[in-house]
Amino acid sequence: MEFFSRAKLQDRSFEEKMEEIMDKVRESAVLVLEEGWSAEQKRKFIQKTMEEAGEEFPGVEFMGLDPSDNRLERAKSFVFDTVLGQDYRSGLTIVGNSRVMEKMKEEKHSISFLAKLEDDE
Amino acid sequence: MIGRLKKILSNIFGKTEDDMSIGIYGPPNAGKSTLANQISQDLTGEEMSNVSEVPHETRDVEKKEKVEIEADGRSIQMNLLDMPGITTNVDFKDFKEHGIEEDDAKGRAKEATKGIVEAVKYLDDVDACLVIFDSTEDPYTQVNVTIIGNLEAKDIPILVLANKTDLEDSDPERVRDAFPQHPVLEISAKEGENIDKLYQEIVERLN
Repeated sequence: MEFFSRAKLQDRSFEEKMEEIMDKVRESAVLVLEEGWSAEQKRKFIQKTMEEAGEEFPGVEFMGLDPSDNRLERAKSFVFDTVLGQDYRSGLTIVGNSRVMEKMKEEKHSISFLAKLEDDE
Repeated sequence: MIGRLKKILSNIFGKTEDDMSIGIYGPPNAGKSTLANQISQDLTGEEMSNVSEVPHETRDVEKKEKVEIEADGRSIQMNLLDMPGITTNVDFKDFKEHGIEEDDAKGRAKEATKGIVEAVKYLDDVDACLVIFDSTEDPYTQVNVTIIGNLEAKDIPILVLANKTDLEDSDPERVRDAFPQHPVLEISAKEGENIDKLYQEIVERLN
C-alpha cells in the first residue's frame, strides 16, 4: 500500500497521475491519494482503466471521500482556482488492483475494504 | 410557442426532435436491459436487448429509434439507448463462474471493456438519462457518483430509478439517501410495476 501526499500530487497533471497510478496498480499496489477527484476526472479514470484492462489486469476498484459541499470548501476552491490558478480538491481517493481489493464498503463519510495478501510459496 | 421555439433552436444546432436520445445508465445487473425491453415492447412491440443473469450481457450500446412515449395527453419521440453497465473492472474469471468456457469468457471480457468505454463516451451525447439502480444493493459507489456527477455537470435531465421493488430485500430509501438531489421513482422493470408512472415522469421531467 502506498500513500501519496497532496504535495506529491499537486504539481502534476491529471494525465501524469493516471499513468503512474496505472503502472502501480498493475503491479497489485493499492494507492491512497490525499486528494479528491472531480466527476470529470473520475470519468477519465474509468475510461482509461477500461482501455488498459485485459486478461492479466482486469481493472481497479476505486473509492473516495469527496469534499464536503459547504461554504468553506467552496471558498477554498474559489481562491485556489481564481487566485492561485491551481486545482483544489480536498478529500481522499483509494485505487487498487481489483484482484487485491475486496469487501469494499463505501458511504458518503466512511470507506473500508480488505486487501488480499499474496500467497506464500 | 415554446414548441415552435424548440424546433427552431434544434434546427439551428443541427438536431431534429428525432435525434433526441435518452440513455439508460447504471451498474451491471441493475436491470437496464430489462427496462429497455419493457419500454420497447410496450411502445414498439419489439424487444431491443438480450437479458441474462450473467453480468455484462449488454456489451454494445443498443439503440431503438423513434420510440414515442405518451402520457397525460402529451408525447415525446426519442431514441432509446441501452448502455453497457459501467464498472472499473471486468475479470474473465467471473464469467467462468457462470459456466462460460475460458476462451469465450476472455472474449466477453474484452467486448465488455470496449462497451464500457463507449458508454462513458456517450455521456457527452445523451439528451436525458434514466439512471437505474438495484434497490437491493447500496448504490453509493464512486462509479455511480461519477455517472450522476457528469450528467449534472452537463445539465442533462436525470430520473433516478430504484429497480427490483418486487424483491424482498428491496430498500428504495437507500437510493434516495445516496442521491437526494434527484427524484427517485420506484419500479420493477421485470414485473412492469410503476412503468406507466415512469412514462409520465419522462414526459414531464425529461422533455
